[in-house]
Amino acid sequence: MRILVAMSGGVDSSVVAALLKEQGHEVIGVTMKLWEGPNGEMPESGCCTASDSEDARRVASKLDIPYYVLDYTESFSKNVVDNFTQMYAQGLTPNPCVECNRSVKFDHFINQAKKLNCDKVATGHYAKIIKKNDNYELHKADYLDKDQSYVLHMLQSSDLENITFPLGEISKPEVRQIAARIGLRTAFKKDSQDICFVGKKDYRSFVEKRIDLTSPGEIFDTKGNKVGDHNGIHEFTIGQRKGLPGGYGTPRYVTKINVQNKNVTIGEKNDLLVSSFIVEELSCINDLEYKNLTIQTRYNSEDLPCEIKKLSDTEVLVQLKEPAFSVAPGQFGVIYNGTKVVCGGRISPKVLENVE
Amino acid sequence: MKNQDYLYLDHAASTPMRKSALDKYIEAESFGFANSSGGHKLSRNSKNLLEDSREIIAELFDSAPSEIIFTSGGTEADNWTIKSLFDSKQPNNNLVTSNIEHEAVLASAEWISSNGFQTKYAKSDENGFVTKDEFIKQIDDETKVASLMWGNNETGVIQPIKDISKELKSINTSTLFHSDVVQGIISDNVDFHRNGIESAAISAHKIGGPKGVGAMFVNNKFKLPSFLHGGKQELERRAGTVDVPGIAAFATALQEQQTRFDEEVGLMNDERLIFEDKLKNALSVEIIGESMKRLPHISNVQFRDINSEVLLIQLDLNGLGVSRGSACASGAQKPSHVLQAMNIDSKFINNHLRFSFGWTTQAGDGSKAADIVMKAVKEIE
Repeated sequence: MRILVAMSGGVDSSVVAALLKEQGHEVIGVTMKLWEGPNGEMPESGCCTASDSEDARRVASKLDIPYYVLDYTESFSKNVVDNFTQMYAQGLTPNPCVECNRSVKFDHFINQAKKLNCDKVATGHYAKIIKKNDNYELHKADYLDKDQSYVLHMLQSSDLENITFPLGEISKPEVRQIAARIGLRTAFKKDSQDICFVGKKDYRSFVEKRIDLTSPGEIFDTKGNKVGDHNGIHEFTIGQRKGLPGGYGTPRYVTKINVQNKNVTIGEKNDLLVSSFIVEELSCINDLEYKNLTIQTRYNSEDLPCEIKKLSDTEVLVQLKEPAFSVAPGQFGVIYNGTKVVCGGRISPKVLENVE
Repeated sequence: MKNQDYLYLDHAASTPMRKSALDKYIEAESFGFANSSGGHKLSRNSKNLLEDSREIIAELFDSAPSEIIFTSGGTEADNWTIKSLFDSKQPNNNLVTSNIEHEAVLASAEWISSNGFQTKYAKSDENGFVTKDEFIKQIDDETKVASLMWGNNETGVIQPIKDISKELKSINTSTLFHSDVVQGIISDNVDFHRNGIESAAISAHKIGGPKGVGAMFVNNKFKLPSFLHGGKQELERRAGTVDVPGIAAFATALQEQQTRFDEEVGLMNDERLIFEDKLKNALSVEIIGESMKRLPHISNVQFRDINSEVLLIQLDLNGLGVSRGSACASGAQKPSHVLQAMNIDSKFINNHLRFSFGWTTQAGDGSKAADIVMKAVKEIE
C-alpha cells in the first residue's frame, strides 16, 4: 500500500513510519505545519516547532522515504486558536487537540492522501480500528495508560476506513525500544505536554494578547458573600484551585462562572459534583447505542458509568450513575461501550448549573 | 530514484557545480590553500589565484578589478549595500526599492526601516513589472540607496534598469543604484556600467559555481563601509580569510558560462517555450508575465483548478523537482509576496509552480517535464 504518514517529529509517528516501511509499504512522510506566530516565528515547544519538523525530516531521510511539509496554518488559526481564545472568554474549558483533530487535521489530510493516490493515512495515535461487517469501529488502545481514542472520537466509520493506527497494540516502552533499535534520533525524546501554539508560556497571557478580556468582576462564596475581585473570567476554569482567595481551612474551587455579570463563585469540592449534563455537537462513529455505556469527560480520565437519552441528532442527555467532579463545560464527553467509542461531543454549558 | 533519472527544474534555486569549476576547486585547494594574506610563497600562490579570479570576473562584466569584492553570496551583497550606507547622523535619508524584491533585499529594507529610516516601495503592476515612472517617483533628495532587481526570481520578468538608472541620476546624483542580478546573470547579458548599475549582487551557485561564494560589484565612485570587521582582506572592505578555492571555482564557472552563453541560454529558451506550449495546449494554465520580457530560464505557471501544494509532491514522486514560492524555515510554503504584489486573485494564488531551467538543461527536458506535469495532474484529479 501507499501510505501517507503524519510525522510530528515525535517518537510515536517516527516509529509508525518505520514500522510501515518495514512491513513493505510505500511510505510518504508529511509534517502538518499548524501554527506560526505573527512574524512567521515558530513556537518554542510542542508538536509544530521548527526543531520538531527538522526531527521528522531527519527521520524520514534515515528511513529513505519522501518527506514534505504541508501548510495547515490558516485553517488551524481559524478553527483552533480563535476557538481556544473565544472559549476562555466565555468561561469554558477548551480542548484544542480535539478541536484540531475535529476541524483541521483528518479531513484535509485524508483528502490530500487520496489526491496523492495513497491507500491509507497513518498517525502515531494510540487507538485501534476494528472492522466489523461493513463498519469500522474505533477502540481504545491495548495499553490504556496511553489510550488516545478520546481525542479521535469525531472520526466517522468512513474516515476510519482510510486510516491506520499502527501503535494500537503496542506499549510506549516498546515504541521507544523500536525507535532505539532502528536508531531513530527521536527514540528518547520527551513527550510533548504543552499546547503546541502556547508552548511553555501560561495560556492566560496567550489569550490576553489576542483578545481584550479585561472585564473585572467579583468573586463570591456559595452563600453569596463577596470574597474578592478578579480581572477577567478567562483567568478561571471550573474546578480550578489555584489563585483563589484563601483562609478557609479546606481547599476552595471555582464552581460557577457567570459570563453575563462576570461573577465567579468558589466553593468546596462537593459543590462541583455533577450528575447530569448535555453533550452537544455530537458525532457518532456508527449507530448510537444505549447499553453498557461509560463516559470520559476529560482526556484519559476515569470511565464513568452512565445512561444517555437522545435529545436530537446532535445532542444527548448524559445521566451519570454516580455524581462526578470532573465535568467542565467546553471539554469533550466521549461515550464508550467497553473499549469501543460510540460517540462524543462537547459538554454543553446549558444545563449545568455552574455556568449561567 | 537516482539523481540522474530525476528531472531537475529548480535552477533558479541552485545548480550543480560545473566539472571545470569542481576541478579548479580541487586544484586550487592544493595549490592555493594558504591564507592569501600571508607573506610566504604559498600565500603568494593563493593571493595570485585570488587576483586572477578577480580579473577574470571583472573583465567578464567589463568593470575594473577594484570594483569586484568577493562575498559569501547574493544575500550578503544585498545586505551590505542596503544596510551599510545608512547613518544615524543623516536621519532623513531614505531607501527606495520595490515590493517584488528578493527576501534579502526586503528584509534588509525592513531592518533599515526599524532603525528609523524611511523605506519606500515602488509597486509592481499586474504583470510583475515595476514601471520607470512608478520607481522614479519615489526618488527624492534624501534617497541614499535605490535598489531594483534585474529579473525577478519567481516570474523572470525583467525590470527597466537602464531607463531607471538614467533618470534617477537627474533627480539625485548621489543616490547609489543597486541591483540584485543573481537571476539576471543566469540567462541575460548583464553589464553594470552600461546600465548605470553602481552596486550589484552576484551568486556563484546559480551558474554552476560553488555555494557560499559570491561577489559584489561596487562602482569605484563609491566606497562602502566594511560590513564584516577584522583583517584588511578584500581591499580592506571585507574582513575574514578569503575562500580562494571557492572563488577560483566561481571564476572558472563564470568563464565557462559566458563562453557557452548563447548555446546554453538558447537551449533554456527553446525548452521553456516547448514546455509552456505543451502545457497550454493540454491544461487550463496561465504563464505568468507571458507578454513581458522575461528571463528565459524561468516559467511561473498558474494552474487554474489545482492547488500546487499537492501537485508539487506528486511531481516529486514522479521524478520532477520544481518549487513553489519561497520556502520558510520549516519547509512549508506560503503564498508568494511577488504574486501578492501582482494582485493575483486569491483564488489562484496557491496554484502556482516555478519551473526553472539552467545550465544542465538538455534538449527534450521541456517536453519531458510537460509530460510529467500532465501525468501528475491527471493522477491527483
